[in-house]
Amino acid sequence: MNKTVQLFVTCLIDSLFPEVGEAVVEVLNRAGVTVEFPADQTCCGQPAFNAGYQDEARRMARHTIEVFEGIEGTVLIPSGSCAAMVKHGYLELFTDDPIWLPRAQALAKRCREFSQYLVDELSITQMGASYSGKLAYHPSCHLLRGLGVEEQPLKLLDAVEGAQTSQLEAECCGFGGLFAIDHHEVSAEMLARKIEAIEETEAEVVVSCDVSCLMHIEGGLRKRGSRVRCAHLAQILAGKEAGLR
Amino acid sequence: MKASKEFHRRARQAIADPHLQAALDRNATRRRSARITALASLPDPEAARRRAAAIRQHTIENLPRYLGEFAAKVEANGINVHHAANAREAVAITLELARQQGAQLIAKSKSMVTEEIGLNAALEAAGMRVVETDLGEYIVQLRGEHPTHIITPAVHLRREEVAQTFHEQLDVPYSTDVGTMTQTARSKLREVFLSAPIGISGVNFGVVESGTLCLVTNEGNGRLVTTLPQTHIAIMGVERLLPTLEDLALMLQLLPRSATGQQLTSYIKLINAPRQESDPDGPRQRHLILVDNGRLAMAQSPLAEALRCIRCGACLNACPVYQEVGGRTYGSAYQGPIGALVSPGLYGSQAYGHLSKASTLCGACTDACPVEIDFPKLLLRARGDYIREVRQPPHFTQGLKAYSWLMNSPARYRWGQRLAALAGGLLPRKNGWLRWLPPPLNSWTHSRHFPAFAKRPFRQRWGEGIAVTPAQQIQTQAPAAPQAEPQAAPLEKKGPVEQFSQALCELGGEVVLCSQDELATKVIQRLEQLEARQLLTWVAQSPLLQTVNARLREDGYKLLTPELDWESEERQPQIDALAEAHVGLTGAGAAIAESGTLVLPAGSGRSQLASLLPPIHLAILSTKDIYLTLEAWLREAGNHTLDESATVDLISGPSRTADIEMTLTVGVHGPGDVIVFCVED
Repeated sequence: MNKTVQLFVTCLIDSLFPEVGEAVVEVLNRAGVTVEFPADQTCCGQPAFNAGYQDEARRMARHTIEVFEGIEGTVLIPSGSCAAMVKHGYLELFTDDPIWLPRAQALAKRCREFSQYLVDELSITQMGASYSGKLAYHPSCHLLRGLGVEEQPLKLLDAVEGAQTSQLEAECCGFGGLFAIDHHEVSAEMLARKIEAIEETEAEVVVSCDVSCLMHIEGGLRKRGSRVRCAHLAQILAGKEAGLR
Repeated sequence: MKASKEFHRRARQAIADPHLQAALDRNATRRRSARITALASLPDPEAARRRAAAIRQHTIENLPRYLGEFAAKVEANGINVHHAANAREAVAITLELARQQGAQLIAKSKSMVTEEIGLNAALEAAGMRVVETDLGEYIVQLRGEHPTHIITPAVHLRREEVAQTFHEQLDVPYSTDVGTMTQTARSKLREVFLSAPIGISGVNFGVVESGTLCLVTNEGNGRLVTTLPQTHIAIMGVERLLPTLEDLALMLQLLPRSATGQQLTSYIKLINAPRQESDPDGPRQRHLILVDNGRLAMAQSPLAEALRCIRCGACLNACPVYQEVGGRTYGSAYQGPIGALVSPGLYGSQAYGHLSKASTLCGACTDACPVEIDFPKLLLRARGDYIREVRQPPHFTQGLKAYSWLMNSPARYRWGQRLAALAGGLLPRKNGWLRWLPPPLNSWTHSRHFPAFAKRPFRQRWGEGIAVTPAQQIQTQAPAAPQAEPQAAPLEKKGPVEQFSQALCELGGEVVLCSQDELATKVIQRLEQLEARQLLTWVAQSPLLQTVNARLREDGYKLLTPELDWESEERQPQIDALAEAHVGLTGAGAAIAESGTLVLPAGSGRSQLASLLPPIHLAILSTKDIYLTLEAWLREAGNHTLDESATVDLISGPSRTADIEMTLTVGVHGPGDVIVFCVED
């Protein structure tokens, strides 16, 4: 197998959770995939788009398109939310722009989320990872509903030796980007509900494909003094210690 | 910004109210699972949603044309059509109609558009008494509040609060028994129904090809309001159109399932015309007020897709934000995700744009929506309008601009990463997580820690080389062989009679199977059990009913065949007499097997009141008149029946409500018992 992907690591992983990025590279390498990292990448623009600042978001989208359109291969994004932004959000941003719309469409076609790439493109579910204990999988909203990725992460987790994985309800953790700040009281209530559901599963680790939700959930768990930690799917598959960092 | 602050204030109040929280949780849990179960009973729910979305989208895209055709057809059917460009005009038209009738009392059934245009307040200001007759609306009106949910107006109230309100306002003993409270409302509102000269209702769907107004209700108040008064005024938003009756059949599959998890609601009323010369009851005058109030403009806007909405409320039930803050917080007649689109769409960003921000864009609403409105996409468009049109808090805009400036240059971005890592070093932290952030970011750290920026970001580690542990075994799955279609278990093939019987029994109705010869005896046996000597009945047209009526007369039963005349002085005593009958006996034009539904077309000798006023409804149905589905009936007989009859009532089981603490109660305004004598040919 000779596959090469362009890793769009996302600004959150780059700046806050580099360990997740390392785990992504490790898993991909083990799966026989060559990873390249275009150095000029920054942020996909989703936080601005999400907040209603479309002009700002368009500028970041144009930058991202320019960074990736010169190089061939799948653009791999280890985040459901950012992948949904590139796949759908960009098309919405450039819907009336005859020049940028085709360029956005071309990028959207090449873009795959991490678990989607492993399972759908490479037909891999067994990564040879093991974990002894209980995991809870959080289906993040943009991954599940934005990209329609439902079974892929579960297939990968089911193949993790020794792990008992339960699935949390497909209910938002209350993050929602700036919502968590702007409507922090509501967000905190939603988070509390999510943490309750996590505690019911008695899992030690919450697994998801979006570090944004996980940062929100683990931030809440830590604030409460809980011992439960979060991990990106790649960290489990790479056999890393639990905890986002 | 003021409106946004108000939202925050009310949200905090809602969160701090444990009773409200319990009510909202109950609503979410029950309605979500009921919807899922009900939808699963359709052969292909996803295909149904796709078709419904396409029909509604097509209608909205051609709204002016369909609206013109619809208005012409309705007018041709003998209903007076009025066009209201805005709320003020809609109110003025209604007031003028009420004045013409010299009406002091108006009975009203639940309607979102009348909430939107503030109709009640305007009518009351003009000295009229307006009574809401849907149980939930009635409760809310007695308390001087507004509905907090599209489908369940009083969802925010506990039974104790309702009991207290009834005790204080209606002068009845304090009782928290839901059945008792429902009966109180029944008897208090019965007086209103029987004396109000005007009934006002909303409209769920307007069918363009036939000019039909369709009302979807459960309690029976909608039927009373559109049957008893001499004048019926229907008020509808101009977007609630469907091109054909076939489209209506599809929407009727989706609306009740999405709203309350019912296959069909207890009552669906199809109104085509005012009372005909030969009809024994029904309003002589019907008016339709078509309210634009921003809809035609919205149909041309980027939010047009939200006009697909059929007001089922499923998005409210699915929404985790609504579940926390409740309906009152939205400060609009339309709450929840759909409210966050329709409110700014109709009234502009200045007043309601902030609602678009009260969402995490999780998309649970879109999953639940029967017409597949892409809520996240539209909420983002509404946010865009809001940011452009309404001044935002400076720190918000400055922050976003600074972040955008950093991200548009790889060099600045790298520089920003370093600076943030350094700044993070100055803040209180624990194991790499910051415990406090300066304002305005401290609203994050109220309830969460925040990860410190990495000292060595990923890009730096990449540059330095990432070590990869050698591969262990990796199994590439062979592409799965196409699985054979799972063989559906051979369905027990049930005949239409059995299906009808089972469906009606599940709704709490009853079916008595009998031969023609046994029929009269069976009916009399039942009447003896019920100890009923007075009946409202149809003037017999079918031989079946003729035989039964003749036997009843022979046996000394008192048969009343209602013939209401508003002009006559006899009306009041006549109504009083009708109100005494304990049982209504009718025929049935047809029945629908899958939903246990009776089809009762109005017409000469066929009183609508017989199936509506008495607490018990007996119906005589010939098995040859049973259709398998609503669609089949509409296709094969619908057009013809609607041409012949001013109205058609579809009745599925007893009158019901779950407006108080979601406790199901039967027999609110319509009959609590429905017994069908199914006669084999």
